[in-house]
Amino acid sequence: MSKSLSNNIRRLRFEAGEMTQQMLADKIGVTRQTVFAIEKDKYSPSLEVAFKISNVFEIPLEEVFTYD
Amino acid sequence: MGLSNKEKSLIISLIVTLLIFGWYFFGVFSNVTATSSEQLGFNDVIRVIFLIAVLEGIIAWFFQKKGEADLVDERDKLIDTKSYRNSYWTLCIGVWFILMQLLFEASGPWSNAYHTLVFTSPTYIAHLLLLFFVLSEVIHFSTQLYHYRRGI
Repeated sequence: MSKSLSNNIRRLRFEAGEMTQQMLADKIGVTRQTVFAIEKDKYSPSLEVAFKISNVFEIPLEEVFTYD
Repeated sequence: MGLSNKEKSLIISLIVTLLIFGWYFFGVFSNVTATSSEQLGFNDVIRVIFLIAVLEGIIAWFFQKKGEADLVDERDKLIDTKSYRNSYWTLCIGVWFILMQLLFEASGPWSNAYHTLVFTSPTYIAHLLLLFFVLSEVIHFSTQLYHYRRGI
């Protein structure tokens, strides 16, 4: 069975004071459309962007992204 | 999520390219028995390219005016790379197709039979080259649209 990457970014944004996609995009240096694509599993971010996202929420990478 | 400004700009560019060059090539290839003086020539190509350039400029200005940030991030670059790869292969296939035509034309045993099948005047070869260039642009726009909508 093939594995795929998924994430909890949408939930984490709401838990972080209802952060908008644009706010997260500005913090990590991508466009709002890219944040949307990541949340919808339509784009797998680079390692750098993935680490930036986990740094924004101050949690380990494995709690933001899962590969199963 | 609705269409982003980038996607709207791509759709309009694609439609403009298809309409203008579709009309142009319809005029060229629907009249393949035209004499050299009746064929669409250099001035017509220049007019069409100028028209496309002006329209693309207006489209770019209009969507930039709408105020979307000019940021080009890693996803945009990846989609660009994939779309340029597809359009490169389209252009490659076209150039090889035309090269083969010219080689068949130049070779003795084949050229007589070949003359009855295709048209190899310099004007039509130029138009074929232009056609494959336009096709590669269409593939470029279409690939970008596909990846922006479906993901990458």
